[in-house]
Amino acid sequence: MPTERAEGTGLARGRGPACGGAGGPRRLLRACVRRHWHFYLFISPFFILFAVFGLYPLLFSLYLGFVKWDGLTEQTWVGLGNFAAMLEDDILAASLWNTLVIGLLYAPLMLALAFLFALALNQPWLRLRGLFRSAFFLPCVTPMVVIAIVFGLLYSPERGLLNYVLAGAGRALPFLGLKPVPWITSEEWSKAAVAVLVTWRWTGYNMVLMLAGLQGIPHEYYEAAKVDGAGPLARVRHITVPLMRPTFLFCGLLSLLGTVYMFDEVFVLTRGGPGISSTNFGLYLFNISFSDFRFGYASSVAYTVALGVFAAAMLVTRRSRLGGGAGEGSS
Amino acid sequence: MSRPLPARAARLGLYVLLAALSAGFLFPFYWLAVSALKSQGEIFAMPPAWLPIPPRWENFADIYRETNIVRAFLNSVIIAAGHVTLALLLCSLGGFAFAKYPGAPGARKLFAFVLGTMMIPGAVTLIPTFIVLTKLHMVNTYWALIVPGAAHAFGIFWMRQYVASHVPDDLLQAARIDGCSEFGIYWHVVLPIARPALAALGIMLLIGTWNNLMMAFLLLRTPEMQTLPLLMYLLQGETRTPFGMLMAGGLLTVVPMVIAFLLFQRQFIAGITAGAVKA
Repeated sequence: MPTERAEGTGLARGRGPACGGAGGPRRLLRACVRRHWHFYLFISPFFILFAVFGLYPLLFSLYLGFVKWDGLTEQTWVGLGNFAAMLEDDILAASLWNTLVIGLLYAPLMLALAFLFALALNQPWLRLRGLFRSAFFLPCVTPMVVIAIVFGLLYSPERGLLNYVLAGAGRALPFLGLKPVPWITSEEWSKAAVAVLVTWRWTGYNMVLMLAGLQGIPHEYYEAAKVDGAGPLARVRHITVPLMRPTFLFCGLLSLLGTVYMFDEVFVLTRGGPGISSTNFGLYLFNISFSDFRFGYASSVAYTVALGVFAAAMLVTRRSRLGGGAGEGSS
Repeated sequence: MSRPLPARAARLGLYVLLAALSAGFLFPFYWLAVSALKSQGEIFAMPPAWLPIPPRWENFADIYRETNIVRAFLNSVIIAAGHVTLALLLCSLGGFAFAKYPGAPGARKLFAFVLGTMMIPGAVTLIPTFIVLTKLHMVNTYWALIVPGAAHAFGIFWMRQYVASHVPDDLLQAARIDGCSEFGIYWHVVLPIARPALAALGIMLLIGTWNNLMMAFLLLRTPEMQTLPLLMYLLQGETRTPFGMLMAGGLLTVVPMVIAFLLFQRQFIAGITAGAVKA
């Protein structure tokens, strides 16, 4: 890798004294910085923008976590009051619960589908691969707001296509017990409606990530297993699945983050309702921020949940690294 | 070459299954297109009308007449073009610097820092960003959606990887000997070579910014500043939503991204999978 190269070689070679590195005398270091002023100039736009729209917001948000503020009137210091209020906040608890339920409703299904799709599209003899891939992938590049409105039509309880099909299938095949469902108008089904939308939208994205993972598995492994008499299923089970662990983990973490911070899907499809039955954490945070203008409280909530999610992600990564072992070389 | 019958049946079965699933995944787009050519009554007809006969093109005339959709389209284009251009410039400049000046003191630590910033969730910085934009008088201007996010940590990482592995040091050295300035090297040597990486990053940024609803909702306040997704969102009424018109506008919002994706899908997919493999 280029960065592994010893400092002072590389491009600057032959122009002035070699750079002493961090351990060298101060004067040399300063000369070296001056000689590389282009480097600092070229990276400065990132750091300037990051300071204004990243670092300052991060610190200001931390401060806001300890005050009460609506954005207009005086800020009042409340210490840990915001954090104490979180424990009593039933809507926060409900939104976290909804997030968990929606995630469990769609993530395992979506990841399994994505894996199966990827396995199918990875068959060497398959033609029209690009066509199938585009069809599965297209949902995630299109504007959610439009798609959610279309899904709203499809979900319409009395006059939606989905219930029309369900009713028809129920009549034709009574033993399946299919009947129309009040998708977005009932508290029982609204989470499922969101889960279906999310599955439709993100299966293709995960499929593409898994395809990349599959293509990283050396072909010789399968050949060797074949020689040893392993059938197709055994090969998937004992070669593909273990070697795909890092990809599964990555997709799982993306789904975790995606469900917690999801916004457009619920904001447009159900507005979090009926009641708050489909309000996930992302929409809840948006509501307390920009409907209730509880800037201080919202900041403390955002920080707490972000740290929680981060800890959960670390824990899962750790676990799987320790337990798995296979496929470490992919990074 | 002929294969045993069961294997051929299995292959045929997979084709049929994949075709059916593809049709299912594409169905909402079909329904969008069909509904754009229906009247309100036909949209909610039972049994549903599978085809819009006769097609009702007035929905497009209606949305043109009753909303400022041309302006919204232009706003979306201006914001997308501005954001993608700015982000590509900043990311390629930064990526080039991190790839080709490894001798600069602190370069590696600064790069690690850039990567670290990717872990900051946007939800934590949303309120202060909103306040900063208010203080900078950027609310209800294009800048509010162009500038924040232009310093894209993944973009810098992506450009750095590409430049490091595709631009030979000797070429830069030769340009330098010919009297090219460092910025000239970036502009005349690095950028042309990095075109595929720029395309991949550009399409990712384009899709993100074109589809953005939340920031537009928060930051664009007046009708003449609305983007297409925001206009579509606001067209939904409290009591009665003009669905035919809304679907026509929705189609105009979706189609540019479908075209962009179909044109650049290879680069786009290379981009997102690189993110996964390296993460």
